[in-house]
Amino acid sequence: MFSLFKKKSSSYSATLMPSGKEIRVKRGENLLTAALSAGVKWPYKCRVGSCGTCKCKILDGKISPEIDFGYVLNFDELNDGYALACQTALKTDIKVMVNLKK
Amino acid sequence: MKTFYVNARYLIVPVMTIATILGLFIGNYFAWLGVILFGLNTIVDTLTKNIHLRADFDDNGNSYGIKRLQYAVMYLMLPAFIFLQVILAWRLYQYTSVTSFETLSFLGLSYQSGITGFNLIGSVLSAGLWAGLGIIYGHELSHNRKEGFLVSRLIMALSGASHFTYAHVYNHHLDLGHEDDPATAPRGRNVYSHAWLSHVGQSQYSYDLERDKLKKQKKSFFSLSNKWILGYLYSLPSILLFVWAGGVLGVLSLTVIWAISNFLLEALNFMGHYGLIREKGKPVEHRHSWDNDNLFTSWFFIEIGRQGDHHVRGETYFWELDDVDAPNYGIGYFSLFVLTLFPPVFRRFTQKLLDDWDENKATVAEKEIANQFKNLSIS
Ligand code: FES
Repeated sequence: MFSLFKKKSSSYSATLMPSGKEIRVKRGENLLTAALSAGVKWPYKCRVGSCGTCKCKILDGKISPEIDFGYVLNFDELNDGYALACQTALKTDIKVMVNLKK
Repeated sequence: MKTFYVNARYLIVPVMTIATILGLFIGNYFAWLGVILFGLNTIVDTLTKNIHLRADFDDNGNSYGIKRLQYAVMYLMLPAFIFLQVILAWRLYQYTSVTSFETLSFLGLSYQSGITGFNLIGSVLSAGLWAGLGIIYGHELSHNRKEGFLVSRLIMALSGASHFTYAHVYNHHLDLGHEDDPATAPRGRNVYSHAWLSHVGQSQYSYDLERDKLKKQKKSFFSLSNKWILGYLYSLPSILLFVWAGGVLGVLSLTVIWAISNFLLEALNFMGHYGLIREKGKPVEHRHSWDNDNLFTSWFFIEIGRQGDHHVRGETYFWELDDVDAPNYGIGYFSLFVLTLFPPVFRRFTQKLLDDWDENKATVAEKEIANQFKNLSIS
């Protein structure tokens, strides 16, 4: 009941695995943009959710997909919690697995 | 003051759309207002072709654009374009039911009841041109989250082109500059055939996308989860409205409106990437799009002409897009559009620019593909 009136946080943290590095993702910002601004070498290409390059796996926490991931990710990936970082807003703090560029 | 200036300059289309709606409402020769405005815009665009501005940021690097305001305007364009069709349908109804001519008044605004065939033609052309220009909002919102995406689909559906929203994001942005992208015009193609090929190609892409998605989800193709079918269903209210208002003439009018608006949409695609080449699988770079960023084009088309930046930073708000040294036609969309209507003139105009691109911007592999066109005497 009270959670209805709970103020939404202005930013959430994303812990990037396997390194354990933590970044802040502001409300209205997507995971990829936040990571790139924090100097993280997150792989990306299109930034509009069409190429799948920014794919990552959400290990813990809740996200809000900004578009339907179903066109780029396959059924198993969707079930396993994969997401497209360029189209992912956060609803809670998260832990995410990503293959960063060398 | 700067905030006001930066935000107000993007209101040209909303103001002119309202003027066009009022023109249709007032009737008589005002029905042609939309056509006249289009012509005037072409003149202003040509006169301002040498004025190029950069995006505006304050000392801390923050932009002056007010997101809530710009989004409210874009969302409000949906009812505005619906209203444009409703007013036209009302005029059609008056014409087919031979309403007598008299001057009446509504909320203090006098208008002519009844419409001549000549002014009805003006109304249809005005509505078609402004529905077509409205596509810039359909484009902008296609890159946005859920509700924005839906508004984009609905705006495009008013022109029978709801498939665009999916094809644009999943096909055009991914396959740009490559033959897999129907919206990229290869060298030698003219705007007329491009309009048809691109439209059909994007619809086909959207069809395939849904078919594959539904197969993966083990759902029937004929389902309301099918966004391709749903998109065309969104266009149904327009069809019913025009059939009701004008019967065969109504269908004819809607066909003209859709033809004009889709032609304008595809002309924008045509101008945005004509003749530019990208090797499949290689990243999209600034050199794969033409910029059209003179003052009037930038403000009128809410920076859609900054294609170079848009295709590399697709998630960026239009008021933050900037000059990124992409290939540039040096003239605005209105002026260039006129050139595209005369294919030999357009080809002559772009020849030098493409030669320059091949020489100074293309990679070795891109140059090789360009040479294949040259060997076929296509330029
Ligand atoms: S960068 Fe292409 S899907 Fe995210």
